[in-house]
Amino acid sequence: MSNDTRIDGYARGLFEVARAEGTLDEVEDELFRFARLYEGSEELRNALTNELIPPAKRQAIVEDLLGGKATPTTVQLISMVVGSGHARDLPAIVDRMVQRAAASKDLALAEVRSAVPLTQDQQDRLKAALANATGKNVDLKVVVDPSVLGGLVATVGDTVIDGTVRTHLDQLKSRL
Amino acid sequence: MSLYANVVATASRLLPTSEFDVDDQGVTSHHWLWPEKAELIYGTLASVIIVGLLVWKAGPLAKKAFADRTAKVQAELDEAAQAQADADAEAARIRQALGDIEAERQRLLAEADEQAKALLADGRARLQAEIAELEAKADADIAAAATRAADELRFEISRLAAAAADRVVEASLDEATQQRLIEDYIAKVGASAS
Repeated sequence: MSNDTRIDGYARGLFEVARAEGTLDEVEDELFRFARLYEGSEELRNALTNELIPPAKRQAIVEDLLGGKATPTTVQLISMVVGSGHARDLPAIVDRMVQRAAASKDLALAEVRSAVPLTQDQQDRLKAALANATGKNVDLKVVVDPSVLGGLVATVGDTVIDGTVRTHLDQLKSRL
Repeated sequence: MSLYANVVATASRLLPTSEFDVDDQGVTSHHWLWPEKAELIYGTLASVIIVGLLVWKAGPLAKKAFADRTAKVQAELDEAAQAQADADAEAARIRQALGDIEAERQRLLAEADEQAKALLADGRARLQAEIAELEAKADADIAAAATRAADELRFEISRLAAAAADRVVEASLDEATQQRLIEDYIAKVGASAS
């Protein structure tokens, strides 16, 4: 089985479980945020992918980390992926699952990175603005990423709308 | 016994004894210089005979010896003359050869001069070409080094400027600025329709 097929299989499984539980929106949001947390933390990646740590112990780490902060479904799904030894693919699995969830709602996934958290009002207005700009209703996923320094960058499918300070600085560096 | 002794002995027997004063001291002549008459006659006769015999017998031999000697001397003279002629010829040949050697030497020297001049000209040309090449390479190296230095300087300035820009921007990104950037982005995206 190719890695892509396996990722797609896990994504479909996560999606079906969350939808069956009736917590799709909440679970996909929590999974998305956990995936970004996983990407941003080398310590967490090392802990969840270390083959020397028994799977049960790695699952316990997940449960300790998320216990009380996420729905039981989210915790169980992540624990299941980690326990099966595919923690390395977790961000890709979650991204595929979120895309599937957005598609099921006839929405386009819009990943937005911001240096600071957005208020709900800002998220609503941004969702509307992106829908206007892309011509698609979007499922907005906000990632707080201090590396962008300021401003926002939105990725909707293959479209990237970049208004970050980091990009402006990089362009300035290139010109220099 | 020699011929002279025989003649004297014969004359002594034939001549009278009065011609000599014979005493117990032997025969003594009457003159301190001239011999006795008979002795003179016989002596002269004997001498003539001897001389005649000598001329008769030894003359041809002497003449032949002289002729041989003359011929030998002549041959030696001829030989010397021939040697002289040979030596002259050899000397002439040597002089000729020396002349040829001198001409060859001159020719070789001239040829060597020509070759030396050609080599010198060629070496000078090559040296000048190498110098020109080295100068061009040095110029290129200097230009490259200058360009490299300028590039490095430009890169360093850019890096410092970028780092400074990073620090300035990060320092200026307070909460109000962050919010303004977000609002500007939303407004800008909202204004752009697909």
